[in-house]
Amino acid sequence: MSAASTTYYDRRGLLGALGRDGLLQIILIANTIIMLAPIVIMIFSAFKTTPQIFQSPFGIPDFTQVGNFVKIWTQTNFLRYLLNSFIVTGASMTLILTLGTMAAYAIGRYQFTGSGFILMFFLAGLTLPLKLAIIPLFMLMRDLSILNNQLSLIFVYTAMGLPTTVFIMTGFIRTLPNELEDAARMDGASEARIMWSIMLPLVRPAMVIAGIQNVVPIWNDFFFPLVFIQNDDLKTLPQGLTTFMGEYTTDWGVLFSGLTLSAAPIIIIYIVLSRQFIAGMTSGAVK
Amino acid sequence: MPHLRMTGRGLWITALIVPPLAFVALFIVYPIISAFAYAFFDWQGLRRGDFVGLENFHTVLFVEPYRSWTINAFKNNVIVFFALMVLQNGLGFILAYALWRGLPGARFHRIAVFLPVVLSTIIVAYLFKLFLHPLFGVVNISLRGIGMGWLAQPWLGQGNTAIWSLIVAQAWHMVGFPTLVFLAGMQRIPGEILDAVRMETESEWVKITGIVWPLVAPSATIVFTLLFVGAFNWFELPYIMAGLDGSPFGSTDVLGLYFYRTAFGNVSSGQQDFGLGSALAVLIFLFVAVIASVITVRLRAREIQL
Amino acid sequence: MNNRLIRIGTALAAVLIAAPALAQDLTFWSWRQEDRAAYEQFIDTFEAANPGITVKFETFEAANYNTILATALAGGTGPDLMMVRAYGGLENVASAGYLEPLTTETVPALAEFSAASLAAESGRADGTLYAVPFASQTQLVIYNRALFDANGIAEPQTWEELVAASQKLKDAGVIPFANGTATAWQNETVTFGLGSSLMGKDFYDELMAGTTDFTDARFTGALAAVAEVAAQYFPDGFIGLDYPSAQQLFSSGMAGMFIGGSYELATFKTQNPDIELGVFAAPGKTAEDAKLVGLYFDGGYAANAAGANKEASLKFLNYLASKEFGQAFADTLSNISTVPGVTFDNPLLAEVNELNQSSIPYLMLAHFRYGEPSGSVLIQGEMQKLFSGQTTPEAIGTTLTEGLAAWYEPFKK
Repeated sequence: MSAASTTYYDRRGLLGALGRDGLLQIILIANTIIMLAPIVIMIFSAFKTTPQIFQSPFGIPDFTQVGNFVKIWTQTNFLRYLLNSFIVTGASMTLILTLGTMAAYAIGRYQFTGSGFILMFFLAGLTLPLKLAIIPLFMLMRDLSILNNQLSLIFVYTAMGLPTTVFIMTGFIRTLPNELEDAARMDGASEARIMWSIMLPLVRPAMVIAGIQNVVPIWNDFFFPLVFIQNDDLKTLPQGLTTFMGEYTTDWGVLFSGLTLSAAPIIIIYIVLSRQFIAGMTSGAVK
Repeated sequence: MPHLRMTGRGLWITALIVPPLAFVALFIVYPIISAFAYAFFDWQGLRRGDFVGLENFHTVLFVEPYRSWTINAFKNNVIVFFALMVLQNGLGFILAYALWRGLPGARFHRIAVFLPVVLSTIIVAYLFKLFLHPLFGVVNISLRGIGMGWLAQPWLGQGNTAIWSLIVAQAWHMVGFPTLVFLAGMQRIPGEILDAVRMETESEWVKITGIVWPLVAPSATIVFTLLFVGAFNWFELPYIMAGLDGSPFGSTDVLGLYFYRTAFGNVSSGQQDFGLGSALAVLIFLFVAVIASVITVRLRAREIQL
Repeated sequence: MNNRLIRIGTALAAVLIAAPALAQDLTFWSWRQEDRAAYEQFIDTFEAANPGITVKFETFEAANYNTILATALAGGTGPDLMMVRAYGGLENVASAGYLEPLTTETVPALAEFSAASLAAESGRADGTLYAVPFASQTQLVIYNRALFDANGIAEPQTWEELVAASQKLKDAGVIPFANGTATAWQNETVTFGLGSSLMGKDFYDELMAGTTDFTDARFTGALAAVAEVAAQYFPDGFIGLDYPSAQQLFSSGMAGMFIGGSYELATFKTQNPDIELGVFAAPGKTAEDAKLVGLYFDGGYAANAAGANKEASLKFLNYLASKEFGQAFADTLSNISTVPGVTFDNPLLAEVNELNQSSIPYLMLAHFRYGEPSGSVLIQGEMQKLFSGQTTPEAIGTTLTEGLAAWYEPFKK
């Protein structure tokens, strides 16, 4: 990615750049320490007892000491919250990608009256802060009888995810060549068949980008569960975390291991797929 | 592209487009339009009462105690926005510039700076709340440890330090985002342009202000707009770190908390008012929409000039 | 013979078929998630005595309970029976007409309940009683007996003695008071748990009569005294200390006293089963001044006015108002039941009950949560300012009086 700039500065000569680059290097290293220190302290503390945390917050713990995690595993609803987050995020993502691809395919692949208007309609949703419509949404969920039901979350997340997905996917689908499609049409393949077996396999890269852009905010969301979900057994991870933090306030070891466990899934996936994550999450802002 | 000819294809397109449209219409467009309508009614709990015109707007803007609460929350949002502009976007630009050089370890630094961005705000908020604990938090323990105990503060308990603690936590959480957006902008600058500049000047400053900055201006526009919208919708971090009341004494109260409290009530007042809440939502919405468009239009215009 | 068999068979069948129709299923909502086991036991007792009625207990998060309840009642999906809050928190549920009014005819045992407890569960506008009050809470000072004994400290009788006791603890390296005020509502607890005796009963009566307001020197003087004690004897950085951390300081034995509600007693015992607790009412200036605790009622049990099984619901309410239930409630949940005549095995509870005989209401909750701004929100924010030196007690008196004048008639000029 940075090949061009590297060559440019290589040509400039190492010595001339050393002073300035040294400063920049120091800034980078300092920043990385600031970025990682809180996370490292969090993970270290997860393996300590509360007195150990107070006495030596920076000390390297005995990583075989997993009492805090055992406590969370056995005494709290943590697994339930984790499972709920998977259910809600999974269902929302499935709906977003399915519906988003359908809409983008229709807009990007066919010409019909009103297609421009429909695209605008979706794009309008990009900029609207839905949090401010929480009162009508609350009433709507009540009228649909899905308050205190995970469907309320899944529906809102789906609606929120569709604009970006349609935006990204339409752009991508428009760039796909027509030849394959035309050939299939000659052979008398139905429109559905063309979409399913010829075009869909080609749009996977865009689906990954759109997926990542939506999966992180949905997985991390706290606001909508706060309003819609009351039953402890239905809570998602960020919301369950507040219940949990309230119950175990006196046991800092458990608190830190709860935070560590909540952060672990996304941190691990991020480290493995960092390139796709960065591309996906900044895709709305980078053109 | 094939044109729409047969009704069969028309049906097919309808089948593709209607379900996604229905979701957006029902769960985004309808609630937002309703939010505007709600603001014009008097609400008794969850029952809609009489049409009261602009009275709810009048109340939240001009009638005490709402007037002071609105002003206070708004003022804090403004502080948060400008502080983050410097801390988050400013620092983001510098970091992007450093990363752009492709110095040794840049790949690692890039992954590190973005790591907090993927975390839930709730995790970040709790983490900083624990770190800033007056007695047992790592910040005060460290300060005492290195003999600077006089600097140890009840960070979240004092009006002036509380809001800044929240701002720093937010900047830590999100600085990776503008960094990587700016970086992507810089990476699109053609090498020839840089070479040409190098012929003319050796000054780093001229290079940044003259070439790099104007060329990443489109990224800046987007980053500024997103920060603006985000700052005026700020909710989760203050909710966890300072509580629904914007403790202490409203010094961390922001429009998001105030709106939620007014609409859904809090333990210490028990009053909930959907009418006033909706009026606040509409005002915030209009303000954000108007200013965000102004920012976009003005900055876009400048992009072209440069 | 045969004929008779058939007749018996038919009768039996009729009973079997009719039984499910007679059975009445009631739902009962609560915010006391932590009391679930106890309530299920109470319900078992009731069901055993009332065959054909079953009660299903459902709990919701305390912070959002009122919103959830109001939503359900407005949508027609409310429960048959429910816990409701008291005072201002009862008002918006009750004023909408969702609750069945109660009288001594429908629930005779209510005749014996204290007037203050019934007032807490009555609508302010119509004075109608809507719920059977269940528990009172007391704001007072809880102390660690072992630490008091070790330092030769007795329960203080005057404000001076309280200060001296605090100093003694401080000199011994013990934090005198564990309280922190970063959590907004703790400011209200601290103010009235410590200051009620300094304010005095006369101030309260005159305030209620409308002959004085919060600029009264008895009130502002109490605030000043509270702030002074806080500055000297609360933990370092207490203005940044949140509520759970403060509880932790006390239950771990690092602090000698905790200003809080009687509901803390059970919490401290759970957090540290070995801790020996004592309670006292914060004293007034002199030993002659009445020692007052701040008393309020938590909530009550109400029936849905639109419920399908009102008769069964009333039966259950009568059970909840009975002495049998009150006693079980006090014994199992370690709470002060409002049912008259209940005795307390737990000596601490007995003592709290004793202290309750000399009390004034927990002021802001009982009288000033009926409008915006609520007195609670005002005092919480203003005390936070006072603790960080950004206002004066006199200024607080003015702010409170002027702020409440927005809706509190007696303060309107």
